[in-house]
Amino acid sequence: MKRNLVVATLVVFAFSSILLLSSCAKKQVITEEKEMEAPAPEVAKVEEEKPAVPAAKEEKMEEAKIERLKELEEAKKREAAIDEEKAWMERRAAKFEAEAIYFDFDKSFIKLEYRPVLQEKAAFLKDYPDMRVRIEGNCDERGTNEYNLALGERRGNSAKNFFISLGIAADRIETISYGEERPRALGHNEVSWSQNRRDDFVLVR
Amino acid sequence: MKSILVSKILFSGRVISQLLIGVLVLGIGIIFETNDAKGKLYIDITSPSMRRISIAVPDFKYLGRKNEHSELGSKLAGIISNDFDLCGYFRPLDKGSFIEGPGAGITHDSINFKDWSVIGAELLLKAGYECIGQQLKVEARLFEVFSGNQVYGKRILGLVEQSRYLMHRLANEILFALTRHPGPFLTKIAFVGTSTGHKEIYLADYDGHNLKQITSHHTITLSPRFSPSGDRMIYTSFRDAGTVLFMYDMIKGETRKISDREGLNIAAAWRPNGKELALTLTISGNPDIYLIDTTGKIVKRLTRNWGIDVSPAFSPDGEKMAFVSNRSGSPQIYILDLRNERVERLTFEGSYNTSPAWSKLDRIAFAGSLDGRFDIYTISPDGRDLRSITQAEGNNEDPCWSPDGRYLAFSSNRTNGNYHIFISNADGENQRQVTFFARDQLSPSWAQQVK
Repeated sequence: MKRNLVVATLVVFAFSSILLLSSCAKKQVITEEKEMEAPAPEVAKVEEEKPAVPAAKEEKMEEAKIERLKELEEAKKREAAIDEEKAWMERRAAKFEAEAIYFDFDKSFIKLEYRPVLQEKAAFLKDYPDMRVRIEGNCDERGTNEYNLALGERRGNSAKNFFISLGIAADRIETISYGEERPRALGHNEVSWSQNRRDDFVLVR
Repeated sequence: MKSILVSKILFSGRVISQLLIGVLVLGIGIIFETNDAKGKLYIDITSPSMRRISIAVPDFKYLGRKNEHSELGSKLAGIISNDFDLCGYFRPLDKGSFIEGPGAGITHDSINFKDWSVIGAELLLKAGYECIGQQLKVEARLFEVFSGNQVYGKRILGLVEQSRYLMHRLANEILFALTRHPGPFLTKIAFVGTSTGHKEIYLADYDGHNLKQITSHHTITLSPRFSPSGDRMIYTSFRDAGTVLFMYDMIKGETRKISDREGLNIAAAWRPNGKELALTLTISGNPDIYLIDTTGKIVKRLTRNWGIDVSPAFSPDGEKMAFVSNRSGSPQIYILDLRNERVERLTFEGSYNTSPAWSKLDRIAFAGSLDGRFDIYTISPDGRDLRSITQAEGNNEDPCWSPDGRYLAFSSNRTNGNYHIFISNADGENQRQVTFFARDQLSPSWAQQVK
């Protein structure tokens, strides 16, 4: 019976040692597996970095936003400047078109007092090289419309030649004569006539 | 066989009636019947001091059975009486002074000439008319009141709608019988009118009736000028870039662009040969006069001067050209001899002389200003014999001559501040307003009626 117990103990021992051994082998395998999985921490690291990515981007975006805002602000400023410049240009353009020059009866020479007016107009044309000007020559009602058409043509040409002498290209200037056909004042006296002997200036954009 | 014959007759009848209508439409429906006191020249129109002959034109008497178009009796008399007045050789008597009773007829035997001599009539036009549908038949007799002699007699056939034309024709023949010269009654005047708010070209009979608008450019249209034969008319109109010279064919009613060079294309004049025109261009940078053909091609540059050269007008032989230039400082009239290109100044009086018009009888009319106002003058091409046509009656501008050179037309604002067309004898006698349209009528041109 004692012998049976010993045998049984041995068997158990053997079995358990086998078990033990086998479990050791398993452990080794596991270790090996673990070793095999060595890059895993790196993966983990990468995974760890993932939460860190949004944080960095936010920073950059913030910068971009600021940049963009700056740009916008600058654009706004630029636009404002352009608007201002445009408004300034429009004001100058309006003045350019509003200011006529006037002539003596039956004469087509530029009177001294109107030279600054033409100089200012020429400066405007130099500032805005895309603009062209149409000069419209007009006369008072006295005399024939045939003669006055010719006189109006000469009045237009006087201003044209003045512009050319100030460096404005001839191809930016056109002239038309309306003779006595487009009076500004309709009276039949010198007050009206003096307003009708004029060059009008129209911008062609 | 019978039916064929009938239809043949009908057919030939239709042909005849069509021919008759054709003749009527052409307005040649004048049938002659005369009993004239031939050989006697009643009016010498070349005489320097011409007395106007008093003439009575009572209402035309209706000769038919039913009184159709009863309004024509006074209308026809009115048209021809106005012709007599406008031509300057007659003094039509006021209808209110007539004392003849209603029983009097239109033939010698049925007229009591004392009824007419007592009111001062020297000539008496007696006429009757009859209407058959749209046809108008007029029988007219002109009597010398003093002797009772019939000076002229004629039967006229036409359409009712042609009545103005028929009366003008009758007036023309009567004047021819008395003077050996045709009158101005079958002429037309073109002018610039502003009644639409734009400047457009209009055409009317010489007496201002029968108005027709020629252009509809809705802009500024100027300077109509009839060709010598009256079949074409040139004018200047504005386009976006400036002035353009157009030619209007009076017969076809078509408009053609002649010159649209850069700058001005204005104030053209016909050379009497009808083949060339002079106009002002600014292609050299300065307003100068060029000769072009009727297609617009430049034949020759005629003036070369620093100043303004405009408003050309040719002499009757076409060898000389009057024009306006400010080369001496103010606008004056000059004459260019095309044969030797010599230029001579014609006008010296006044500071502003313009719009020369050269008559067929070799006289130059122009508008001149001494005191700011404009008046019409005439002058001999050699610079002698300056005469004023208008005086102290508003502004008087744009003179032009009738085709025969015996009458002047011009625009004047003497009546109500607006400009209207007036006509007068060549010496300024008998000035009469002929247009009464709204706003202004300007820049007349005068031509024979085109048939």
